[in-house]
Amino acid sequence: MPVHVMGLEGQYPLLFLIWLAPLVGAVVIWAFGPRLRTWAGPIGCATIAVSFLATLASWSDAIRRTPEGATTVVGAHQTLGTWLSGFNLGLLWDPLSLVWTLVITGIGFLIHFYSMGYMAGDRGYARFFAYMNFFVFAMLTLVLSDNFVGLLIGWGLVGLASFFLIGFWYERPSAVAAATKAFVMNVVGDVGILFAIFIMIVAVGSVSYGDAFAGVAAHKFSPGLLYLACAMLFIGCAAKSAQVPLHSWLPDAMEGPTPVSALIHAATMVTAGVYLIARCWPMWQASPDARALVGAIGAVTALLGAILGVGQWDIKRILAYSTMSQIGYMIMGVGILADGAGVLHFFAHAWFKAQLFLTAGIVIHALDNEQDVRRMGGLHKRAPFAFWSMTVATLAICGIPPFAGFFSKDAIVYDALVLGHPLLYAVGAVTAGITSYYMFRLLFVAFFGTYRGDVDPSSLGIRHPELAGTSAGLAARPHDEGSPHHVPGWLMSAPVAVLWIGSIFAGFLFVGGTSSPWYRLLEPVFGGTLIFPEGNAPISEGVSSAIVLALVLIGIGIAYLRYGNAAALRDAITRIRQESIRMPAVLTNLFYFDIAIDALFVRPARAFGFAFGRIFDPLIIDGAVREARISAGWLGHLFRSFQTGMVRAYALTIVFGAAVFIVYYAVVVVR
Amino acid sequence: MTTFVILAVLIIASAVFVVSAPRTVYGVIGLLANFFCLAVMYLTLDAEFLAVIQVIVYSGAILMLFLFVIALLSSGVRPFAPGKNRLPNVLIPVSIFAAIAFAGLMFTFAHTSPITEHASDVSSIFGPAGTAGVFGSVADFGRALFTTYLLPFEATAFVLIIAVIGVIALAGDVDPPRKGPGRRAAPGKPREPILKERV
Amino acid sequence: MAVPLMYYITLSALIFLIGAVGVVARRNPLVMLMGIELMWNAANLAFIAYARAYLNNAGHIFAFLVITVAAAEAAIGLAIVVAVFRRSDTVDVDDVAALRG
Repeated sequence: MPVHVMGLEGQYPLLFLIWLAPLVGAVVIWAFGPRLRTWAGPIGCATIAVSFLATLASWSDAIRRTPEGATTVVGAHQTLGTWLSGFNLGLLWDPLSLVWTLVITGIGFLIHFYSMGYMAGDRGYARFFAYMNFFVFAMLTLVLSDNFVGLLIGWGLVGLASFFLIGFWYERPSAVAAATKAFVMNVVGDVGILFAIFIMIVAVGSVSYGDAFAGVAAHKFSPGLLYLACAMLFIGCAAKSAQVPLHSWLPDAMEGPTPVSALIHAATMVTAGVYLIARCWPMWQASPDARALVGAIGAVTALLGAILGVGQWDIKRILAYSTMSQIGYMIMGVGILADGAGVLHFFAHAWFKAQLFLTAGIVIHALDNEQDVRRMGGLHKRAPFAFWSMTVATLAICGIPPFAGFFSKDAIVYDALVLGHPLLYAVGAVTAGITSYYMFRLLFVAFFGTYRGDVDPSSLGIRHPELAGTSAGLAARPHDEGSPHHVPGWLMSAPVAVLWIGSIFAGFLFVGGTSSPWYRLLEPVFGGTLIFPEGNAPISEGVSSAIVLALVLIGIGIAYLRYGNAAALRDAITRIRQESIRMPAVLTNLFYFDIAIDALFVRPARAFGFAFGRIFDPLIIDGAVREARISAGWLGHLFRSFQTGMVRAYALTIVFGAAVFIVYYAVVVVR
Repeated sequence: MTTFVILAVLIIASAVFVVSAPRTVYGVIGLLANFFCLAVMYLTLDAEFLAVIQVIVYSGAILMLFLFVIALLSSGVRPFAPGKNRLPNVLIPVSIFAAIAFAGLMFTFAHTSPITEHASDVSSIFGPAGTAGVFGSVADFGRALFTTYLLPFEATAFVLIIAVIGVIALAGDVDPPRKGPGRRAAPGKPREPILKERV
Repeated sequence: MAVPLMYYITLSALIFLIGAVGVVARRNPLVMLMGIELMWNAANLAFIAYARAYLNNAGHIFAFLVITVAAAEAAIGLAIVVAVFRRSDTVDVDDVAALRG
């Protein structure tokens, strides 16, 4: 079986350091957590820092190009071993993995640092860092593998880490339910990837990327089979990246602590689907149906996330839906083979989404675990740093030039037009407008006006004040010890400050066409046409950007009129109450997805389980065992009735037997 | 023939009397009559030694044993009465079984080849009783017992030893020695019969 | 007139069955033992009749041994009856149902 290796084969001990340092951290903190106590935080941060520094040190290995025969190979490859024929496991270190690893370890480090402040005083402090380190290890497994099996292992492990971390405050039943829901929906995705692996083995006989892509080039996949493989992989992506219809776990995942939401459900884990599709671009290149599927679902998710974000009042849920929407953009981008733009959006999004979540965490922390924006207000005076950070990040996500989101979002949308998907272009543009509307809604309602925390919740339209602060609620931190440690505030502010850099400047990587840093980094992986697609666009890029910017400004304007101008701020309480009461049912029921999944899958599964567990098992299986016992007893009872213990009865039996025997002898034998 | 018929009638009558006697002692007397008539019948069959043995051992020893035991135990049970709530009267069924068995036996005998009959003539060519060489003589009997059938003889002796030991073990010790004054203190209280428990 | 062998055998069978009926139908253990004695004797009669019919000593020998064993058995049986019913008021074999189960 010919083995196609992507990347220069060799020994790279630094790769092992990158990959395994977080695992060491997780194991150490798991093992010694109770004794480490507050040392768990620095240890957890240190391992990620080690990983990050090793990444930087291996940069040159990732971008090195080596001619091999007629082709040029980029990156490095470390073979781990061969399990069976066709199962060659190894680590692939090329620019695409480099980008992801930088985000995972770099932004991961910032979030770990932030957590030292956010989780201070929590009884599960050490456990948190163990889980976070484990997550980073799992994500690196996913990203560094050179084969689908390693990918699947990492895929499952990040799902597990997500389960641990969403349900971190496990005494809260809502957290446990959310963790279970996330895990179950992710398992659906795992099955999809597993089927794709089956198809790989059948078609190509190997699970490594190199062999698979070589097989695609050599036409070993029939078009239908290739589409099926891509669709199965996409099921995994949809589950992991919260695309329609497997998206409903992501808002509920906000039950976890805010750093978890920042790291896992914004910057890294949910982007695993984007990584997969970007990695498998040769497969998508060869299957137009797969491109259409992924592009459509990406666009639908982007639009749906934005619409749902309009109706949310929990700050973390607003951000969750915005994540879903932005990942829809990324998926759409990589799906239609605009990988350069899609991956750039991932990179930029990691910066500003992390910034949004961490700032939200600062606000939540400052307001004593309040998460409902209706009860916030006037924070721009009370928490100026948070206000300005949130503003910068919001500008980035809306795509206001020159902030980061502008370059990436416009690139995706314009590439859709260039590649001949005008409908996707329209959806993307409109979604950009809606995105700016709800993000500025958040900004105005939470930060402007006067503080509404002392106002009676029902006059704000909050129907369940005891759940105010919803996901967290005032009973949020059951693990808090009596007197919280007094940790310095800069533990939480410093990472956010660092994130300013990316939110502002990340987009400039894309400036400069074919001599931009981004192009030079990723061209060896994708080839030029995936970074700057060629095609016929009816309008130029400048006009397209202008259209999108116009829609964005319209969105901001509407938000300003509804929430931001002087009249709105004066009547904030009334307006908020009106909006809460009149929120359309479609939005409050989240487009009925949860209800549909419940009716289609959960209830039948429960009924099935009930039928087997309460009816079939006790009645038939236990019944069979019972019947055996009863019939044994009955038989014994029957024979017992002969044992009267009375001598005469026994004698009678003997006489009876003798008579029978005599008669038998007379009639049968003698005759 | 007449001897046989008379003896047969007596034997059957006494047997029925034994089984249905109202009091056990009557039954023992009936058994005595039965044994005696059987001994006479043995005589008609030229088994003189056995006839004497029958009288001595059976009616002399075994029936004495029965009488002693009857004297030892009270017997206040009416014959063929159904028990209180235990095995009901089985006389009818068992009689039917017996009749069927008898009919079967007769049927068998009727269909087997007849045996050459050597009639029981007293005035036979066999000679005076007791003489060696005559059928049924003691000398012949003794010689056969101690030569050809020595093993069954010895085994039967063994059985007798066992029976003696068994009887002593079963019915030997009546009252084991008591310890302590408690039991003797209330002699009027009858002790519980051994096997009255209804399990 | 010679008595046919079958008459003796028939008589033996009849005595045997009367003894069997007695064993089953009476509740006094002593009467049961007497029934058993009848059965022994019926067997003896058969032995002796056949011995006379075949002019074979073996029947006599075995009848002798049967008498011996019957004596031993009667002794043992009576000892058991004594042991069981020594302290009871009535001698009823239906009371001895300890092996019930």
